[in-house]
Parts: sequence; structure tokens; C-alpha cells
Amino acid sequence: MRKAAFIFAALAVAAASAETTRSAYVVIVHPATSVSRLDRKFVEEIFLRRVTRWPDDTPIRPVDLGPDARARIRFSEDVLSRSVASVRSYWQQRIFSGQGIPPPELPDDAAVVSYVLSHPGAIGYVAAGAALNGAKALEVN
Amino acid sequence: MSLERRGPISKGLPVAAVVLAALATMRPAGAAELELPGLLAPLQIHGFVSQGFLLTSDNNYLANSSRGSFEFSEVGVNITLPATDRLTLGVQVFTRKLGPIGDYRGSLDWYYLDYHWRDWLGFRAGRVKLPFGLYNDSSDIDSARTAVLLPQSIYPAQNRDFLLAQTGAEIYGYKTVGAAGALDYRFYAGTIFLDVTNRPTSPITVVDLDVPYVAGGRVLWLPFDGLRIGGSLQFLRLDTDLLTTGTASQVAVRIPATLWVASAEYTLRDFLFAAEYSRWLVSTQSSNTSVFPESSSTSERAYALASYRVNSWLQVGSYYSRLVPNVDQRVYPAGIQHDFALTLRFEVNRYWLIKAEGHYMRGTAGLSSSLNANLPLSALEPDWALLAIKTTAYF
Repeated sequence: MRKAAFIFAALAVAAASAETTRSAYVVIVHPATSVSRLDRKFVEEIFLRRVTRWPDDTPIRPVDLGPDARARIRFSEDVLSRSVASVRSYWQQRIFSGQGIPPPELPDDAAVVSYVLSHPGAIGYVAAGAALNGAKALEVN
Repeated sequence: MSLERRGPISKGLPVAAVVLAALATMRPAGAAELELPGLLAPLQIHGFVSQGFLLTSDNNYLANSSRGSFEFSEVGVNITLPATDRLTLGVQVFTRKLGPIGDYRGSLDWYYLDYHWRDWLGFRAGRVKLPFGLYNDSSDIDSARTAVLLPQSIYPAQNRDFLLAQTGAEIYGYKTVGAAGALDYRFYAGTIFLDVTNRPTSPITVVDLDVPYVAGGRVLWLPFDGLRIGGSLQFLRLDTDLLTTGTASQVAVRIPATLWVASAEYTLRDFLFAAEYSRWLVSTQSSNTSVFPESSSTSERAYALASYRVNSWLQVGSYYSRLVPNVDQRVYPAGIQHDFALTLRFEVNRYWLIKAEGHYMRGTAGLSSSLNANLPLSALEPDWALLAIKTTAYF
């Protein structure tokens, strides 16, 4: 009986955890972007600006939420494998050594959706449940 | 051993301190963006202001630190314009004061045009920061690291003018190699323009100083998330004409040097670990060996560091750094320096930080005779400590 209760509790925690991960953010792209699924590593390289072009040679235009946004924090940890503060250090090095500039930071989900819709090649992320208004949601493996 | 102040603090609170205070009280804001007409992307403007303080228990290090020195200031402003999706222009104006180095006058620290043809091949021309080791090209960016002073064995602050940037061209790229991860590479060639500055107390007068070439590259392998492993190699030659006290004719001196460093860095969430090992091979060729003898030496430099972000406003870091200026003369105290450092970094807000760092030093090899009354390094206090405090505002 105790074993069954333990298994049930573990499953409940796992399910809750998976639900939290699923519901934290949605990666979105401009509707004309041909891809519908991306590898997590590729998304990481996009947001660190190591990869700058889609397979069809369209420039990739990543866009971030502000550093305090919950979706930004989860996206940073899940996809970039580092904290928002660590990402900011990475960009400090790039900016002040002349190696590059970070993606623009926009204040809220609506601004990110608007940016993605108005910039071909754009990619961003918003909190799950935010209105996408025609932006294309991507699956990230 | 105590960190005892022995006299009045150096006079002349730098302008940087005033600017810093003004910046720190500003309402937090992101990097400035200036909208340009047409299809041009916004102009990005970033900047930083740093003011530090150095205090040593014995010996002067980097500045007149034994009595406490505020001669530890940096100010930089840069502008980046993504002119097209492949072409970027950038420029940074920088000024600093570190003991006898720098005079608060702004200079073009770097400037470039960057044509990013493919992710695996880009081209930069202008005055470009040298990729040497993990952190050389970002060594003056206080906000990008935990420590006040990077390990001085490999990133000596007083050599910034020699080692930070070259004027010439560079090719660079980033290439994924399937399951093996990715390669990040940069190769460059050019020269370094140096100002001749003679110290009144020096027995040698530098008449002319020229770097006919500097060339090299860095390759980093990123096998999986967080890990960077690689190496850097640099060749350069310094040509100079000297006058020594008591002689009328100039001596031409050529100093070819080969520098290499092996690097490894691992970032895991809020932890960062790094270690580097380097050797610098420097020889001296002289037109008059009786006045300026020829020599050849190999220095050994290494460090290991770790840092951890405790929470959103506190980071701690520590490193051990070791300098041996001549591997054939590892004699304590003048032929070696061990540096044990511990740092606390506080983020006051997103645009302002304060750091405090303590160093325990064994050996005097990293000291400068000219900052210590021209005493030989063997005559200086072999066990000493350094307290470094620095605050930086940036946007």
C-alpha cells in the first residue's frame, strides 16, 4: 500500500513537472518560415547568434522578452541551458569586444508577437496561452 | 600580515567616479537605440564606467597601491550599426587610468567593419580585439566576469596596450560538426600601433617603437553544452630603437615572440570552471650586445578558477594563478608569483555592480621595479596581500 502511494505521488510530481515545462512558453516564428519543428541546440545557437540564417538563407531575427519575464527565465534555462544572468554576461562580453549585439528585448508577449509578425525570419517566445495572432508556434525537441 | 594603510590615499579622485555616480543614479534603462531612417536597423549604444581602488599590504602593484590608490578607472562607449543583415560597423571609445598607464584621454579602442557572409565564414577589418585564450578580448569588461582582476599571469592588466587589439584583418566562423558539437575559430594578421612613453626614472629612452606584424588564431571546440576547449597561438615582433644612459648611439633591438595558451571552460547552470596553461617565448636580438645584451626566455603562466552565482545579486569566485617569467629561473621570490584570489560580486541592480576581492601573493615576479623605487624584485616583500574594490555601471 505504501509502495503504491509512493508511485502515485512520484507520478503526480512528474506529471506536474511536465505540465509546468509544457506550459511555460511557446516558441513562435514568422508565419512564412518554412520550418515547424526545431532542435533545441539549433534554437540555442540562434539566440546566442552563432547561427544567423534559416536553411533558405533568410536572416534569422531572434527577439527576447525582458529579463524578469517568467517565460524568459524558463526559456533561458531550458533552451540556452544557462540562467538569464549568465546570458547577460555572455552578451556583455560580445558587446564590449565588438563581437556582436544581443537580440532586442521587448516588454511583453504582445510586443514579441507583433515583432515576429512584422519581421520575416523572426523567432521569439511568449508565455503559453498568449494570443499568437497568426504567428506560427514551433515544436522544440 | 595585515592590509595596513601606510599613508594618504593617492590624490585626484578621477572623473570616472563622478560619472559613475551620475550613471548609477539614472533610471535603469536598456541599451540606447537610435532609430535610423529607411531600412537600417537601430543604432545600438552601450557603455560602461568603472572605478576601482587598490590597496596592498606591501609593495606597489599596478599603481601606488601600498598607500591605497584610486588610479584604477575605465570608461568606454561603443556604437554598433547593423548596416545590412550581413554588414555591421562598430566603434568603441575608451579611456583608462591604471597607475602609471593611461591619462584619461579617450582613444579608439576598437573599430571594425564586419561582413558576415556565412556563419562559418565572416571577415572583419579595422582595429579588432585579439582572441587569445578564453578572455583576452573581453579582459577589460568588468561586467562580464566575477573577478576584479582576471588571473594576471595570462591577462596582465599593464600589458593591455600590447595584447588587447590589432589593426588589420580577421576571418572568423562558427561551424557545427554534427554529433561532435561545433567549432568556433578566428584567425588574424595585422599590426599594433604603440605610443612611446618614457618614464623619467628609467635608464633607457625609447626612441622608436614598432610592431611590424602580429598574427595568430584561436580555435575552440564546443563538444556539448557549456564546455569550451581549445588553443590560441600568436606570433608578433617588436622593433625598437633605444638610447641608454651614457651612450650616444642608438641600439636597434628586435623582440620576436611566440605566445600560446591551452584553454578549457565549463559552464553548468550557475557554476563556471576554467583553467588555462600558457607559455610565452620571447627573444631579444640587439645591434649592440655590449650595450643591450641578447637573450631568450620562456615564461610559464597558468591558472584555475571557479565561480558560482548564489542568487540574483551575489556571485562568488576564486582562482589560483601562477606566473614564472623565466622557466630556467624558478627562484623564489623574484622568479615566481603565486596568486590566491577570492571575490564577491554584488549586483546592486541590472546596470550597476560592486566587487570586492582579496589576494594573497607569494613571490614578486609580477611586480614592477619602476613602481617600487627601482628596487630589484628580490628585494621586495615576498609575502603580501592585495585588496581590490571596483564598481561598474553599464548599459
